[in-house]
Amino acid sequence: MEKKERTIDIIKQERKVSAEVLEERKIYSRNRKAIMEVLKEGPKTIPQVAAETKLSLPDTTYFMMVLFKFGDIVVESLDDMDEYYFYELKKK
Amino acid sequence: MTDNQNAAATCLDETRFDVMVIGAGIAGAESALKLGDMGYKVLLVEKEPSIGGKMILLSKVFPTLDCAACITTPKVSETARHPNITIHTLTEVETIHRNGDRHFSVQLKKKPRYVVEKDCTGCQECEAVCPVITKDQFQFNLTARKAVYIPFNIANPRIALIDIDNCMLCGACEKACPSGCIDFTQKEQQLQITAKSIIVATGFKLFDPISIERYGYGRYKNVITSMQMERELAPTRPFNNVLRPSDGKIPDKIAYVFCTGSRDHTVGNPICSQVCCMYSTKQAQLLMGALPMADISLYYINIRAFGKGYNEFYLQAKDMGANYVKGKIGKITEKENGNLILRFEDIATGKVTEREHDLVVLSVGLLANPAIVKAFKDEKLELDAINYVQQPNMLQSPAQTSIEGVFVAGTATGPMDIPDTIMSAGAAATETSSYLTRLS
Ligand code: SF4
Ligand code: SF4
Repeated sequence: MEKKERTIDIIKQERKVSAEVLEERKIYSRNRKAIMEVLKEGPKTIPQVAAETKLSLPDTTYFMMVLFKFGDIVVESLDDMDEYYFYELKKK
Repeated sequence: MTDNQNAAATCLDETRFDVMVIGAGIAGAESALKLGDMGYKVLLVEKEPSIGGKMILLSKVFPTLDCAACITTPKVSETARHPNITIHTLTEVETIHRNGDRHFSVQLKKKPRYVVEKDCTGCQECEAVCPVITKDQFQFNLTARKAVYIPFNIANPRIALIDIDNCMLCGACEKACPSGCIDFTQKEQQLQITAKSIIVATGFKLFDPISIERYGYGRYKNVITSMQMERELAPTRPFNNVLRPSDGKIPDKIAYVFCTGSRDHTVGNPICSQVCCMYSTKQAQLLMGALPMADISLYYINIRAFGKGYNEFYLQAKDMGANYVKGKIGKITEKENGNLILRFEDIATGKVTEREHDLVVLSVGLLANPAIVKAFKDEKLELDAINYVQQPNMLQSPAQTSIEGVFVAGTATGPMDIPDTIMSAGAAATETSSYLTRLS
């Protein structure tokens, strides 16, 4: 395939990235890192991850489900009360 | 013909059609297919990146519990491959003028995908490297998607697009794309076409329960809409199972609040949405399959199970253990653990009662989607009292509208279920064909 000129440089001259997009990206990176770090110790439920990362429960659920969607974490098992799943890092 | 093939065949140069169908949901696709099969040249215009409308996102359909995707996907693919059908996705109708007796002149606005359609293989390498996440509107915000994305697994065309407003302009996708098809130089296009007739199949909007403050939607994480539950139940679901958004717990006491935004003057929608009783009943049956230990309570005003096999379907849900409670919910409050207290008048006892649930599903109603009327410049597309497209001759010619040569299909005329939508779309195709025959 012939090498194409990168078009991203052209659009960069016309558009600015909004501060909101940059901020959201920062939040995602920070939370992703925190959750992945906690899960290095082994499988955990969402409330356990929330307790360790100090993220709110809804935020932990949201970001863990995003990590689940993008294949960073997988379901390990269900707890004894059949209430919460344990999640673990996907083995790469 | 898909957008993909369109680009290859430079169909953008094609400007003359027998019929333009506005909206590529199941009604629009059905009308386009019927007319395409009759030999008419059809243009199908869709504002979303994929055709298939809302049905393609459903889990199963009532009363047969057939898989919605298994019904929609073949129809959608047939539409996309049909030699007489041209599809423009990400396209909106801007203006429609009558051009003499026999034609309408139409101005379309096609948004850029920033991806060369004919070269994209749908490999998703771009998604893997994109560092941005933003709410996934196709999962009704329960999870996120990347700034470059394929809308959902069974999207048609299955081609990536870039959400430029949420893009960080990092260029990682362009670098990673094996077929080199990302193109940030794409611009919005204005297309001019003519059509002899038009079918309006613009569908409905879902009621947004944020306006009913006492239900707490938007404030309480465990109050979700029926469309969100639909996604939780679908095979392409956002979570690994049906879970509470507040903490990922598997819910075991689930409540449905019927008629949310339907039969309610206070929210400006006095009519019955026709499908909420039955889709909630369907979801109750699916939930009892997915979570066998869960209690499902459905709070209703009246059960309207009017279609073929519907009453039997409702009785089947009751037999399976669904608990139908006659009483409209007055207020929902949240406990610290995320559980919800529902306050209602139990019609059976006449007492105001409170019950606790750990997940509440609001069975939201349907609203008209009348934006298209603004596009008609010379003649007025009349609406009825609640903003659906007026049918001046409902009994003899239900697809007729106030404008000669313009027909209407599906839920653009009012709330209806899927079988009625398909029938309405068939009727619109037949009436359009008969009009075109008269015209020639
Ligand atoms: S350029 Fe935009 S869409 Fe592409 S990877 Fe970067 S943020 Fe994502
Ligand atoms: S990487 Fe390129 S070919 Fe693959 S889905 Fe993305 S845009 Fe399409």
